[in-house]
Amino acid sequence: MQLMKQDLDLKKITAGAGGNAIKSSPGEKLFAAFNYAFFILMGMTTMLPFINLLAKSLSSEQAVVSGRVGLFPIGIQFETYYYVLQDSMFLTSLRTSVLLTVIGTALSLFMTTITAYPLSKTRLRGRKWLLLMFVFTMLFSGGLIPTYLLMQNLNLVNTLPVLFLPAMVNVFNMLIIKNYFEGLPESLEESAKLDGAGNIRILIHIILPLSLPVLATIALFFAVAFWNDYFAAMIYITNPELKPLQLYLKELIVSSGGEFLKNNVDAAINMTPQSIQASSILLATIPILLVYPFLQKYFVKGVLVGSVKG
Amino acid sequence: MAKKSTLLTLLLGVSLALSGCGGGAETPASPGADPAPQPSGTPSEPKEEAKPEIRMIMQYGLFDPAKEFTSKYITEKTGYPVQYEMLPAENADEKLNLLVANKENFDVMKLNAAQFYNLATSGALEPMDELLEAHGNHINQAIKPESWESATIDGKKYAIPETGSGVSIGEELIIRQDWLDELGLSVPTNADELYNVLKTIKEKKNVIPLTGSKDSIYGDIATTFGVLTDWKEVDGKLVHKAEQPEMKEFLGYMNKLYAEGLLDTEMPINTAQKAIEKFASGKAAAYKLAWWNAGSTIAALNESNPDAKVSVIPYLKGKDGKAVVGANANTTWFIAIPKASKHKEDAVKFLNAKLEPETFKGLAIGEEGVHHEVKDGKYYPILPKFNDDLNNASAFMTGVDEEKYPIYWQARVRKDPVLQNYFETFQKNAEGLVVVDPMSTAPPIDAVSRNTLKLRTLLDDNALKFITGSEPLESYDTFLAQWRAEGGEDMVKAANEWYQSAQ
Amino acid sequence: MKPEKDKPQAGTGKKAYMPTLARDIRKEWDLYLLLIPGILFILLFKYTPMYGIIIAFKDFNIFTGFADSPWVGWKHFEKLFTSPDFSRVFQNTVIISLLKIIILFPLPIVIALMLNEMKNMMFKRSVQTVIYLPHFLSWVIVSGLFIDLLSVNGGLVNKLLNSMGMESVAFFLDNSVFRSVLVTSAGWKETGWSTIVYLAAFSMIDPALYEAAKIDGASKWKQLWHITLPGIAPIIILMFILRLGNILEAGTEQILVMYNPVVYKVSDVIGTYVYRQGLGNQDYSFTTAVGLFEAVISFTLVVVGNSLSKKYLQRGIW
Repeated sequence: MQLMKQDLDLKKITAGAGGNAIKSSPGEKLFAAFNYAFFILMGMTTMLPFINLLAKSLSSEQAVVSGRVGLFPIGIQFETYYYVLQDSMFLTSLRTSVLLTVIGTALSLFMTTITAYPLSKTRLRGRKWLLLMFVFTMLFSGGLIPTYLLMQNLNLVNTLPVLFLPAMVNVFNMLIIKNYFEGLPESLEESAKLDGAGNIRILIHIILPLSLPVLATIALFFAVAFWNDYFAAMIYITNPELKPLQLYLKELIVSSGGEFLKNNVDAAINMTPQSIQASSILLATIPILLVYPFLQKYFVKGVLVGSVKG
Repeated sequence: MAKKSTLLTLLLGVSLALSGCGGGAETPASPGADPAPQPSGTPSEPKEEAKPEIRMIMQYGLFDPAKEFTSKYITEKTGYPVQYEMLPAENADEKLNLLVANKENFDVMKLNAAQFYNLATSGALEPMDELLEAHGNHINQAIKPESWESATIDGKKYAIPETGSGVSIGEELIIRQDWLDELGLSVPTNADELYNVLKTIKEKKNVIPLTGSKDSIYGDIATTFGVLTDWKEVDGKLVHKAEQPEMKEFLGYMNKLYAEGLLDTEMPINTAQKAIEKFASGKAAAYKLAWWNAGSTIAALNESNPDAKVSVIPYLKGKDGKAVVGANANTTWFIAIPKASKHKEDAVKFLNAKLEPETFKGLAIGEEGVHHEVKDGKYYPILPKFNDDLNNASAFMTGVDEEKYPIYWQARVRKDPVLQNYFETFQKNAEGLVVVDPMSTAPPIDAVSRNTLKLRTLLDDNALKFITGSEPLESYDTFLAQWRAEGGEDMVKAANEWYQSAQ
Repeated sequence: MKPEKDKPQAGTGKKAYMPTLARDIRKEWDLYLLLIPGILFILLFKYTPMYGIIIAFKDFNIFTGFADSPWVGWKHFEKLFTSPDFSRVFQNTVIISLLKIIILFPLPIVIALMLNEMKNMMFKRSVQTVIYLPHFLSWVIVSGLFIDLLSVNGGLVNKLLNSMGMESVAFFLDNSVFRSVLVTSAGWKETGWSTIVYLAAFSMIDPALYEAAKIDGASKWKQLWHITLPGIAPIIILMFILRLGNILEAGTEQILVMYNPVVYKVSDVIGTYVYRQGLGNQDYSFTTAVGLFEAVISFTLVVVGNSLSKKYLQRGIW
C-alpha cells in the first residue's frame, strides 16, 4: 500500500517539476520500485533499535530485566524521564555539551576552511610538502603523555577549550573541503581577479556561497564529533561541571557493567536501572539528531554551480 | 604601505601569541604558576587556625562529590575543606598515571590494589610509618595488624588498607523450585546429582537448564572439584588454580554439560545482565546469582512468571562428601599519600579524624533516628533518607573500623527485603565452609601484581575454550606452558618465596 | 597581474626556488596569510608532542620521564614480531580490514547514488535522516542488538532459518561466520553516515550536463556512468586513499566489545592483542612501538596510493 502511494507521489512530482519530463521506461520504473522498497526496509532496520530503546525507557524495570520489551512498552511509566531530567549532573553535562558543540563547530569550521583554501591552489609554493605535513599528523602522533604535558603547560587542563582547541584543524575534514574547492571552476576566480579582488575577498564572496553543501557537511561532521567525543574529557577533565554529556553517559553505562562492578559491591547495590539507562541514552542523542534535518536543505542537488555559471 | 605594516603587525602578533604558548611547553611548570585552585589558606599560616584544603583522588562513582551529604559531613567533622576529584570509570589507571607523573599535588589517594602497587614501587608514595606514629591514633586502632601487611613494602607502610565490608560470599546457585516439584526432582547436593537434574530438565521442559555469564566461570561447581580461589595451599606450598590437576576435571565436567546442551551454549557471550534476563524470563532453570542482583532478578521473574518459585542450592558437596566455599579477604582499597603532597601531616590528621569512632559511625550509617534505627541489635536504614544521603558514602571512606564496619555495612543490605534475604541465606549456607585464599594477606609482590590481571584473562579465556570444546582438553598442557611462559612461573615462584618466609 | 600557471616544480630550478617563493608571497600575501593559523595549530598541538615517539625505543617509565628512561633500541619491535601470536593477529587484522574495505567501502557510494535517483524529496529527506541513526549508538549497544538478533535462543534470524528448515547457527561462536557478523554490524552502523560525504559531492555536478544528456537521449544508466560517477570521482579517490591509511585498524573498539575467546582464532587483531597484553601493567613503550609500526605502514600506503592515483587517475591529495 505504502509503496504504491509513494510511487504516485513520485509521478506527481516529476510531472509537476519538469513538465517536459521524459517518460520512464519499464526498467526505470522497476528500478524506482526497488529503490523505494530497499530504503523502506533499510530505514526500518535503522529505526527499530531506537524504538526499542524508547519502549525500554517507558517500561517497568522488571519487564526490562526479563528482556520482554520489544517495540512496545510494558508496564508503562514516565518516572525515568522525570528522574533523568531533574538530575543536576545530566543537566550540567547537557549545558557543557551544547556549549562545546556550538563553539567548537563554529571555530573549527572557520579554521579548517581557511586552511583548506590556500591548499586547494596548485600554484601555492610548497603545497605538496605542506599537505604531506598535514597528512602526516593523521597517522603519526606523539601519544597521550606528551600531549597531556603540553595541555598542562598551556594551562588548558580542566578548561572547556581543551575539548576543542586541539581538534580545530581536522585534517580529514580539511581535505574534503579542499577537494571540493578544487572542483569549482577556475573561471570564477579568474574573472574576479580581473576585477582586482584579492584572494580573501574571492573566498568570502565567490567560493564560500558556492560551497554551502560541503560546509554544511563538514559542520555536521564537526558537530557530531564534538557531541560524541568523550575521550578528551575523560583525560583532561576532572571537574564535574565540565564533563560533557557523552562522558556522563559512558560512565553511566560502564559503571553498571560487570567489569566495573566486579570488585565494588557498594556500586553493585546502587546500580543504575536499565530503564533509566535507556532514557538517558535517548535524551543524550536527540539534541544532535536535530542538527541534520536543519542542515539538509543545503544538500540540494546542483542548484548553485549551475545558477552562477549560467 | 600602510596596509603592509598592519599586516606585519598582525602576523607578528599572532605568531607571538601562539609561540608564547608553545614556548611554555619547554619550560617546566614552576610551582608559582600552578593552575590548581587553592582557595583557602596558605600553608604558612598557623596550622590549628586555618586548616589547608585537602585534595583527594577518589574512584569513580555516579555522583558529584562536592554536592554529597557525606562530603559536607566530613568537612564539618574534621574541619578540613576537601576538594574531591574522581578518576574516570574507564581508563582510570591511565588517568592516574598522568596525574601523578605530572606531579599534580594531591594529598590523599584512594587506590585499588594494582594502582597502589604501581605507584608505591615507582616511588610516588610517601612512607607513612612516622606520620601514623605521630598523628594516627584512631587509624592505628581501627586497622588490624594483618591488614597492615597488605600495604607494607620492604617494612614500610605505604597506605592505609581498607578491607571494606569484611569476608562475605557473593554468589550461589539458584534453581526453579516449581519445576523441580513438577518433575519430582529434589535439590541436588553434588555434581553428579546436578548433572542428572539438569538432564531431566532439558528433556522434560525444553529450556536452558543452566545459564551463566562469561564473567563468572568458577564458583559452586568448581569448588566440588577443589578449585576454590586463585591460590590454594597444598602440602605447605602455594599452587595456583591454573596448575591444580583438579582444574582439568572441572573443565571436563563443564565441557560435558556444554556438549549435552545442559549449560547455556551462549555462556561465552553472556553478560551477567543477559544471563539474568534468561533466568528472569523463564528461559533458564538455574543460574549462579550474586546477591546484589537478587532484588531486580527475583522481582522480574515474579512478574513474568507469577507461579515461579526459586530455591537456593546449598553449596554442593565434593567427592569427599564435604562442601567448601572459597573466599577472598583481600584489601579492597589503599589510602595513600603521594610524595608530591604539600600537606602530608595534615593529610594524616584528616584521615585520622575520619576514623574517630563517632565520626566514623556517622560516616557509615548516619545519625540514629534520622538515617538508621536499631532493631534487635541490628542496624536498619530509614528510607528514603538513608538512600538520599548515604548511598555513595562508601566512596568517601578512607579506611574503616575493621571491627565495626562489617556490622554497620549490613544496613546497606537491609534496604530491600529480597536482597537481605539472599545475602543472609548465602552467608548462612557458607557458615563453617569458608576457605580463605592464602594470598589474601600477602604484601604486594612484584611478579604477582604485575601478572595477575593479564594471566587471569588468559586463564579465563582458555577455560571458556575448553568448556565449549573449541579447544580439546588434551591441549590443556600446551595452554599451561604458555601461561607459565607469560609470567605464571615467575608469579608462582615469587608467591611461594613469600609464603615460605611468612611461615 | 594574472598569476602564472606554472606546473608545480616543473619549471623552477632549485636555486631559483627561494627568490620565487618570496616573490609569490609578496604577490599573494593573503593566500599565505590564511595558511598561518592552521600551520601554527598543527605545529603546536601535533608536532610539539611528537617527541613522544622515542619511547618506542626506550623502556619508558612514566615516573622516570622521557629523558631518563633507558634506550633499548628495537627491543619492543622484536617482542611484537617474535610473539607467537603475531602472524595470526596480523593476518586477522588485514583480512578483516580488507573485507571491510571491499564490501563496505563501495556500499555508501551505491546507496548515495540510489538516493540521488530518488525524486520524492520528502521521502528522500526522511530516508537520509533515518539511515544515519545507528552511527549514534555506541558499540556496546550495537553488539547487544546483534547478540539478541542472532541468538540461538529465540533470535529473529535463527527463527527465520528454522522456519526455512535450516539448522540454527551460533553466529557469535562460529569461527566460520563470525567475521561476517563483524562486517555486517559495521556496515549497518556506519553505511548511512558514510553516504553524507557523497551526497554533498552531488551538488557539484553541473545540472546542465544532465539536461544535455537527456536531449541526446542518454539512458539513466549512461548518465550515471558518464556524468554522476566522474563527478564524484575525486571524493571517492580521496576517501579511498584515506581508507587505505586505516588498513591496520580493523575496528578494535568494535571487536573488543563483540568477540569472545571461542572466536579469537579469526577475530583477534593487533588492537585487541595489544589491549590484552597491557592489562594490569601499562606498557607505554610497547604500545607506542606497535602504533609506530602501524603508522609507518599506513603512511607508506597513503603515499603509494596517492602517487598511483596521480599517475593513472590524474588526481591525488597532493
